[in-house]
Amino acid sequence: MKNHSELIRTKLSDKQMRENVSNAMHTLQNNRKKLVDAKFNDWDGLRAKAKKAKNNALFTLKDRILEFEKNATKNGMQVHFANSKEDACEIIYQLMIEKNIKKVLKQKSMATEEIGLNHYLENKGLKAVETDLGELILQLGGEAPVHIVVPAIHKNRYEIGELFAEKLGASKENEPEKLNAIARKHLRNQFESLEMGISGANFAISKAGAIWLIENEGNGRMCTTAPDIHVSVCGIEKLVETFSDAATTDTLLTPSATGQFIPAYNNIITGPRKEGELDGPKEMHIILFNNHRTNILSHEDYYEALRCIRCGACMNFCPVYDKIGGHSYDAVYPGPIGEVISPQLFGMDKHGDIVTLCSLCGRCSEVCPVCIPLDSMIRKLRRDKVGEGGDNAPLGANELEHSKLESYGFEKFASLATSPKVWRTAMGNASKFNWLLQSLGTSLPVLKNWANYKKLPNLKGNLYDELKTLEGVKYE
Amino acid sequence: MQKKVYFYATCLGTAAMQTTVLNSIKLLRSAGVEVIFKKDQTCCGQPSYNTGYFKDTKKIALFNAELFSEDLPVVIPSGSCGGMMSHDYLELFKNDSNYEKIKNFSSRVIELSQYLEKIGFSIEDKGEPIKVTWHTNCHAFRVQKSIEANKNLLKKLKNVELVELKYEEECCGFGGTFSVKEPEISNAMAIAKVNDIVNSGAKIILSADGGCLLNIKGTIDKMGLDIKCYHLYDFLVSRMEGVSL
Repeated sequence: MKNHSELIRTKLSDKQMRENVSNAMHTLQNNRKKLVDAKFNDWDGLRAKAKKAKNNALFTLKDRILEFEKNATKNGMQVHFANSKEDACEIIYQLMIEKNIKKVLKQKSMATEEIGLNHYLENKGLKAVETDLGELILQLGGEAPVHIVVPAIHKNRYEIGELFAEKLGASKENEPEKLNAIARKHLRNQFESLEMGISGANFAISKAGAIWLIENEGNGRMCTTAPDIHVSVCGIEKLVETFSDAATTDTLLTPSATGQFIPAYNNIITGPRKEGELDGPKEMHIILFNNHRTNILSHEDYYEALRCIRCGACMNFCPVYDKIGGHSYDAVYPGPIGEVISPQLFGMDKHGDIVTLCSLCGRCSEVCPVCIPLDSMIRKLRRDKVGEGGDNAPLGANELEHSKLESYGFEKFASLATSPKVWRTAMGNASKFNWLLQSLGTSLPVLKNWANYKKLPNLKGNLYDELKTLEGVKYE
Repeated sequence: MQKKVYFYATCLGTAAMQTTVLNSIKLLRSAGVEVIFKKDQTCCGQPSYNTGYFKDTKKIALFNAELFSEDLPVVIPSGSCGGMMSHDYLELFKNDSNYEKIKNFSSRVIELSQYLEKIGFSIEDKGEPIKVTWHTNCHAFRVQKSIEANKNLLKKLKNVELVELKYEEECCGFGGTFSVKEPEISNAMAIAKVNDIVNSGAKIILSADGGCLLNIKGTIDKMGLDIKCYHLYDFLVSRMEGVSL
């Protein structure tokens, strides 16, 4: 298992990454604030409406899935169901084998990151090529996304120029336009031989049997319309009932993510090419996958996390994320929403360590467009991590080892805080131990974690003695 | 609003920030408020709650609800501990048989500035003209929602110019046990906060939360900067009495 502290220390000392991420996150924060102030009369009302729309779909999920299957099939799509991430990958693999396809092109999709599609195919000797600029940069550099919306935001243009020069044999550039031109030229060649395109789905509309994709670069539209076969990979929480529900939520998504009013492309797909139509794929597949989502849905403390529309606002505003970057979480989903869902999708035993990457400042919950109480969930995951979650604790929680020392410490703390006489003696005499605190601060466990970075306060005086002398104060 | 209250000092106030507790009480007394200090009071339980030890925290919450049993406001000079007792306790006791008992207690918890605002507190500024900046405690801002009341008190001071921080709504990295569980990240956040303070140009940083102040002051002192940190209530008393800090 990874070394959590070492990873954090390494990332914190990466000055360039921190500068890139911090600048980018502050820009995204400003953009969003300006837009919400300027363009929306009732942002919170819209949030409440979106929350209701997503909850409606979650509370009736089985019906929505069956309805989607029926209507999408009627529209000519082939609907597949996958319980695990391996199942989802296998469906794509089998399709590729059946059609004798060696290479697929992908739109940016966190769902395919979650199921580990690229590695799965690679292990079988097949290839998935990223067509989103950010994802392409990552694929060339062999990295995982640092953010769910802006996956390569930790790199600046000089670093990207060097990567393009090294991996694509391009001349070394650093201006965005020139870098874009290099990527465009490279991708155009890829698109020429495109046979199967893979996308995610921002919304799957059950009543219409349609999917809705948003993007900014146009590559996604190429992936879904140019090849003969289009496969959409879609977590079951992406279902909403109506177009109106999708539109409400869509109206919140792009402003929350990047501060744009609308994305460059809204693609609504209602099925494969119909007779007489000139373009579009001849076959369209949609894979609805679970990967523990139904476990989350059945948990009263965590089901709300399934409302997430993957806008990334929680990470854009997280004061921890912008210091350590997304790779510190060592999970597919970083940031506050990642802290909540990564342990539940992949196991508390594998990702439970990241629930400490939060000061519980609550800013993520404040900005979440669908009102997910993220900070409160992170606190509850800590409860489950220390073994107080009971039978209902998330996946892998029973595999965790608990710190007996820590739990003993808090047991003592609670006992002290409910024993007034002992408490008073300790607090009243705290200042007498100031010399000890000051001299041993950097070597005592726990305390040294503070004293290594910050000066310890000087303790002086006894509050109780002072209070007794105050006029008009009843000390009882 | 009733002018007889329980005063809740907080654990930090009792152990390390006694002056702030005494000054807070002084403000209440100057407004003619009768103060009851329960000597058996301890802590709100936030450290154990935020670390995930909910069972231990429940014991502390019940202890508090029983100790402050009379129907009086529980006034507290910290929006963070206030948020814990007025809001988080309710979440903690959801579906618990003691919910009503806790709710009765929680509904009476109020942050000092909010209380002073409700009783129409007025203050005369006897201090020299001065420029200050303000640190917003996250829990006070988003849970107890007491920052506005804090600032309203500051605005009553005619010789005090308040310069807002550029990244005011960002956490200083204290987060209770977060600061010792993830000390490196906490430090990176504290340094970002201190840089924001330096960029404001003010030489004085105020806040109405002891934890954040310890964190920010500890970082400023370690960095060797010439910036002073004061709790809002210490600052207010100094202005009221015309004493320079």
